[in-house]
Amino acid sequence: MKNRFILALLVLSLAGGFAPVSAETAPTAREAWIMHFDGDWKNASGLPEKAMLIGLQGLANRTAPRLYIAHAPDFPWEITVPLADFYTRKHGVKFTELKTADEALTLFAASAKGYVVWDTAVMPTLNVAYTIAGLEDAIVVTPALIPLAERHGLKRIDDLRGRYDGMTDTQIYADAKTRYFARCNPDMIMLMGGHAGDMRIPGIADWGVRQRMFFHDLSGNPAHKDEVALAMELYGAMNPGAFVFGWHSYVKDTEEQHTTLTSTFGLRMDGLQSLPNHSFNSQFTFTPGFKFQNQHHVDRDTKLVAEKKVYLAFVQSDGIGLGVWTKPGRGKLQLAWGAIPSWLEFAPAALEYFQESATPADYFIGGLSGPSYMYPNHIPADRFDGLMREAVRQMEVLDERIFEILDNSAADGNVGNADLTKETVDRYYAAFPNVIGFINGYGPARTFDLRNGVPMISYDYYIDPRRPREEVAADLQELITINRNRPYFCLVHVRESNDVNSLVEVTKQLHGPIEIVPVDTFMKLAASNQTYRTRYQLPTDPKHFEGFRRE
Amino acid sequence: MIAGGLLALGLATAAMAANPALAGRWRYEPTLSTALDGWHKMDLVIALEGTKVAVTHDMLWIRSKVVATNTYDTARAVEAKDYFRVEQRHMAVYPAKGGVTTATAAWIDGDRVLRTEAFTPVEVSQGNVTMRITSEYRVSETGDTLTVIELHSTRNRPLVYVFKKVPAEAAKN
Amino acid sequence: MKKLISFLTLALATALVAPAAEPAATAAPAAKQAWSMNFDLDWTVAGGLPEKALLVSLQGLANRTSPQFYIVHPPQYQWEITGPLFEFYQRKHGVQFTELPTADAALAQFKSAAKGYVVWDKTVGASLNVAFTIAGLEDAVVVSEELIPLVEKHGLKPIDDLRGRYTGQTDDVIYQDAYDKYWARCAKDRIMLMGGHVGAVRMPGMADWGVREKMFFHDLSANPKHTKELALNRRLLSEIEPGGYVFGWHSYGKDTEEQYTTLLSTYGLRMEGLHNLPNLSFNCQFTFTPGFKFTNNHHVAKDAKLTAEPKVYLAFVQSDSIGIGVWTKPGRGKLPFAWQVTMNWTEFSPAALEYFHESATPNDYFIGGLSGPGYMYPNHIPPERFPLLMERANKLMAMLDEHVMEIMDNSAADGNVGNADLTKETVDRYYAAFPNVIGFINGYGPARTRDLRDTRPMISYDYYIDPRRPRAEVAADLNELIALNAKRPYFLLIHVRESNDVNSLVEVTKQLEGPIEIVPVDVFLKLAASNKTYTTRYQDPEEPKHFSGYPKE
Repeated sequence: MKNRFILALLVLSLAGGFAPVSAETAPTAREAWIMHFDGDWKNASGLPEKAMLIGLQGLANRTAPRLYIAHAPDFPWEITVPLADFYTRKHGVKFTELKTADEALTLFAASAKGYVVWDTAVMPTLNVAYTIAGLEDAIVVTPALIPLAERHGLKRIDDLRGRYDGMTDTQIYADAKTRYFARCNPDMIMLMGGHAGDMRIPGIADWGVRQRMFFHDLSGNPAHKDEVALAMELYGAMNPGAFVFGWHSYVKDTEEQHTTLTSTFGLRMDGLQSLPNHSFNSQFTFTPGFKFQNQHHVDRDTKLVAEKKVYLAFVQSDGIGLGVWTKPGRGKLQLAWGAIPSWLEFAPAALEYFQESATPADYFIGGLSGPSYMYPNHIPADRFDGLMREAVRQMEVLDERIFEILDNSAADGNVGNADLTKETVDRYYAAFPNVIGFINGYGPARTFDLRNGVPMISYDYYIDPRRPREEVAADLQELITINRNRPYFCLVHVRESNDVNSLVEVTKQLHGPIEIVPVDTFMKLAASNQTYRTRYQLPTDPKHFEGFRRE
Repeated sequence: MIAGGLLALGLATAAMAANPALAGRWRYEPTLSTALDGWHKMDLVIALEGTKVAVTHDMLWIRSKVVATNTYDTARAVEAKDYFRVEQRHMAVYPAKGGVTTATAAWIDGDRVLRTEAFTPVEVSQGNVTMRITSEYRVSETGDTLTVIELHSTRNRPLVYVFKKVPAEAAKN
Repeated sequence: MKKLISFLTLALATALVAPAAEPAATAAPAAKQAWSMNFDLDWTVAGGLPEKALLVSLQGLANRTSPQFYIVHPPQYQWEITGPLFEFYQRKHGVQFTELPTADAALAQFKSAAKGYVVWDKTVGASLNVAFTIAGLEDAVVVSEELIPLVEKHGLKPIDDLRGRYTGQTDDVIYQDAYDKYWARCAKDRIMLMGGHVGAVRMPGMADWGVREKMFFHDLSANPKHTKELALNRRLLSEIEPGGYVFGWHSYGKDTEEQYTTLLSTYGLRMEGLHNLPNLSFNCQFTFTPGFKFTNNHHVAKDAKLTAEPKVYLAFVQSDSIGIGVWTKPGRGKLPFAWQVTMNWTEFSPAALEYFHESATPNDYFIGGLSGPGYMYPNHIPPERFPLLMERANKLMAMLDEHVMEIMDNSAADGNVGNADLTKETVDRYYAAFPNVIGFINGYGPARTRDLRDTRPMISYDYYIDPRRPRAEVAADLNELIALNAKRPYFLLIHVRESNDVNSLVEVTKQLEGPIEIVPVDVFLKLAASNKTYTTRYQDPEEPKHFSGYPKE
């Protein structure tokens, strides 16, 4: 997710308002421990100890939420500190701080049966070590950390030093597959990619260890045939609807390639590789009495009639779009937010936290493309309905009525061909009979439809946060001028990290019969007068990448 | 320049004009426009009569007021002795003394937009030269915004001035 | 000062100061004892002004015979030099300062310098100026009534009490009374125009100097609409000795900088602002450190002959005093810049000039001005006063090692824009008065006065960079000038308004198109002497003037 997810990452400030805990939800006290991490993830310095501690966290949290990690403010997921406060406030968790790895091992070494040594000269050994850690209840250590582990009574379970010297990643992971894959979790696999070079951020390894997942960072780049073939073997062996946690390797392939690959197997992508504390978060439910209540502006069966106007709606789709969530000005402009639906299962407290800080101008929508991040043009037809049934269930819990779709498999980064085939569109209309509309795209797209009062509208504009605001205003004005028929429905995708205040300024520069409306109102208006042309992805439209041929 | 007198014309009906929405008093909106240095305020008062379009500049700098009108004719080229150019007054570019400006005008884009072109002599440090100024006057769909885009033969970056319509009652004052 | 005013933001970052060379053995300073006070920024009449007025008047008396009392202002004060200069005095002049924490402590230290006190009336603003005049003449401090107990505690006796004396009177009546009572005993080669801020805030930071020098304080208007004030003003100015000084600044509530500068120029006087310039009573008593000599970073010899190529030559000039707003901005030294020096500081504040000089980079080049040995509008200087003034300017330029003279006459301009041209007669006078310069610069905003006589060009600014103008538009403006002035060489002289960020100007220059060369202004003028592609032009009598000046009396 250089694009979509990466920056979308929970840039949560502490400024969000907190609702008081009501008497009937007074939590019972629960004991847990917290460690504060700094921002040093260098292989040569901060990584080895952090890798050990995250693995230990997965084991410590196997049966109860006990160890939580709070990250530095510049960590991609800024939610960790506010969420710790939320646990204290709403779940009665009493955290005791652990200041050192030694203290953490003193407390939690009993959760582990031993240690696995990984080889800092062969980085894939860290992923193999994590796989072993999950299966054997081990922590992962570098040679320098062996004395520390042994001081706490841990014995050597395995030592990867030398085992994989000179081998390619394909060879290494093929060996790991042979040795361990059969015992690993068939419903979840860990794509532990992300940064390469002199740093790694395996923040989600606790979750992989806890859930006994197979760790790898195999490529989805067709140029790496052997790695792709092995990745396809692994993905092909997963259960239907399984999860791919983590993220692709930034040096091997692209987000588009890997998401296309996972979608080809009907798997659900849930990133990133740095997402922390799932092993802790997954063990909480919503607080008693909590229920998602979206701020709908129209009833599901309302009929609106569009006037001869230009209707604009703004949507933030990157995860919950947290880059914008924390930016000054949220609440000043009607914005729709794509929530991360799988967090219902893995991080409900985080979703509850967002819900409680929503303003009246914030409206939540479902997506992205399914119950997780997927490219629907590539989802096998026989897997589609099952996945979307889960998405429908998620939307009901989250009180969402609009579904957002993104397929960038044929796009070129954030721009290019992001359209849906007619077959895909047909499937969505069939799978989501109760939505009031669909949104498509990331960059602009051309897929439009209207069936039974339910429009499917693609973005006409994508606001890059780096584009000068006066150019954004001029771009929008030009769209308004070119699309001369009224009503004109102009759906705008707000890239994460756009400053909402600056968007407000942009809207002030627009002239014409403009009306900014919430996206549910927008959909209802778009249903009343189809001034947009029905269109799907044409086979003749150029594609940056055609996808993978499943063996 | 037919100053003053044509100001009154500004609010007159413009039965024959291609886009009557252009007529009236328009007030410069600095937050939406290219910076206008050397002037604090700018109103345009546009009068349409037949093929004639009179564009009056009502300018203010501190307490100094300048009112000047350029009259164009969409049927023929016109010559003006005192053609008014919206100067960036921190540049040493002055109207050439005694210079005569030739100007044309046309309605374009389905008669919605007025395009003018003026060849105006200016004095610079090396003497007198001619500057071509091509301008487009575009009125918004709702009739409340006028965007004037001005392109100079000598400047690659266009000047974009945005104006808001002054309601007729306020314009009388 | 819209020009001078903000220019004066002596925004001196200590970080910019190049480490001074260790003083030579011969220059080792003898230790001197002095006292300092730190002022805050509260100059409100209802708050901090009365005590500050008292202290500033006390400073003038304390510094009558030797430099004893120095005031350090916060960095946000318009003259940010006070802190760095405080450090400079210690470092280069061996001054050992003892801090005085309170007005009480200052009075305890310096009460013997005063013979008593004068009470001013807070309900009559002009009475403060009258009190300052009396303070200079009678060796008094100025107090508002609530400060009487404090000064009496230190044994000071009442000398005069202005409470009630001027109630209900107009400023022209008040100053006429003061004129009748005190003018005869006041200095005649200088006068204090204590204007500036009006209303709730007043900032008489320069009053120490007026008190020390026994000047007549006033803030009479130069606005032709204020006929009575103007008449008295003219009478006072007419009685100043030839070439005398008007210190301070015009009243922001009465007239404009252009009006007042025109008026004093009409009498051949020299303006030295601002009204809040501090510590002149202290600064004037130092000379340059032993062995110090101004050495400008000349790029061409005075008699060099250069030949311009078919290029666009640009030079940047900062004219607002020493342009301190830019001096402290990030990036100084990255572009060749000419800086107009306040020449008279050689007399009143040599340490400040030495301080600037020691922090100059090789790209910083100093030029003379503004118009003469002080701030003046030359079209209005009486012909008979012109040679005397310019003789003085020539001497100061020689001392400061300057080869270029900058001229500005905004008397007919409208703020920063408009008619800033020189008449042919004025140009003739400059050429006669400055035979040794390598060239002249004219204008503030753009102007059209240009000439070339023998090897000395006179070039007006073709562009004025307003610090608020978006940099992309500045680049577009300059490119347009380059396109309009199509002959090569084209000599494009640019005035950089104080407070422009030099780094942003570097970015502007990267956006320019054509055969550009940025040169130091001395090189620029030598090149401009080699190929006159610019027109000869003076102020055209038919061109509109925003203000025509004052009738001769």
